[in-house]
Amino acid sequence: MDFKDYYAVLGVSESASSEEIKKAYRKLARKFHPDVSKESDAENRFKDIGEAYEVLRDPEKRAEYDQLRKYGAREDGSFEPPPDWESRSPFGAGGYTETDAGQFSDFFESIFGGARGGAGGFGFRQQARQGRGEDVHARLALFLEEAFNGCEKQIQFEVTEVSADGRPVRRRKTLNVKIPAGMAPGQHIRLKGQGSPGFGGGPNGDLFIEVEYAPHPEFTVDGKDVILTVPVAPWEAALGGSITVPTVGSRVSVKVPKGASSGQKLRLKGKGLPGKPPGDQIVVLQVVLPRHLSDKAESLFKELADEEKAFNPRARFHA
Amino acid sequence: MSRNNELFELDVVHMHTTLTLREMCEHGEVHAEYVIKLVDYGVINPVRDDGNRQWAFDLLALSRLRKAQRLQRDLKLNLPGLAVSLDLLDEVDGLRAEVDRLNRQLRQLMGGD
Repeated sequence: MDFKDYYAVLGVSESASSEEIKKAYRKLARKFHPDVSKESDAENRFKDIGEAYEVLRDPEKRAEYDQLRKYGAREDGSFEPPPDWESRSPFGAGGYTETDAGQFSDFFESIFGGARGGAGGFGFRQQARQGRGEDVHARLALFLEEAFNGCEKQIQFEVTEVSADGRPVRRRKTLNVKIPAGMAPGQHIRLKGQGSPGFGGGPNGDLFIEVEYAPHPEFTVDGKDVILTVPVAPWEAALGGSITVPTVGSRVSVKVPKGASSGQKLRLKGKGLPGKPPGDQIVVLQVVLPRHLSDKAESLFKELADEEKAFNPRARFHA
Repeated sequence: MSRNNELFELDVVHMHTTLTLREMCEHGEVHAEYVIKLVDYGVINPVRDDGNRQWAFDLLALSRLRKAQRLQRDLKLNLPGLAVSLDLLDEVDGLRAEVDRLNRQLRQLMGGD
């Protein structure tokens, strides 16, 4: 087990006052709250911050921690509490109601004991003889093609059950779900009764799923519309004409208007996500030049430059 | 267990589930007063209001209710602060998605990946 330096987690010195500790905690909690931060490790950082504050805000726990800190930090960063160690301020002795004790690290538990599986853990209403099972909230990532065509997905999640001796235990559950075509990112689904089992004859909890999309290399999605950047040659843009562009899972012929320019958008009605009504596909034109021009092509461009001398694409800079 | 390998076919019912005030309280494990306050502050909005608090909420509202609870519990926000925070977070999420989309388009325009 690794030793956790709670002072470093909160970015305060060993001699920090309780005011400084509170201030540092509040600032970091705001920054790394998983509902606020999009950093990939925000959830773990937030847990560490909460755990560090739980210890350092309480003078008794802090004193015990300081004592262990002197003893426990081995050179390789690993940690074992002394064999006869027993905290005088054990966790779960009451008083603390807001934090889910099951979230704290093994390091914390080795010092202050855990409430894992105890009353209050997982928000489990153990006192009640009968109750509804917990709801489970899960996310489901779909590829654009899967969302477009519908698909079958296997969803894995954890439910909380009551063991034979009345303790809450976690169990992995797997469901196969048939997803219809046209599920948009951010859409929520409820599967009634598929959450944690009820206890004492109470009803099961529900499973709530939020759909999200994995990024696609070509298409981006905005609500029910899909957006595709389509490169065109300068002469295609100048002269207009039909080009073939991909849609999700198919191809369509699109008419480029004469004199089109980069960034111009063409809307293909009904070619977005399926639904009632379906979304559109938006084609964004991008004029591109060949990387290398032949001598002849270069001289043709020179000819064009002479012909179009009056055209100044930067006229507005001189207005 | 074979029960777990059952295939659930999602249909219109799953897609357009709405919750009553009572169900919101059950799933959010909160009192009705709390939900009513969140509605008053515009933190969550019913998709249907038949008057006299005969509300119907969509599942997005439940997700916002849970988010509101977490923020309030962890950051000790009061209701007006919570309402502002959630509005700003929505805006930030929208902007992040927009920036992401534009960045990807820009990379494509520059001939990148």
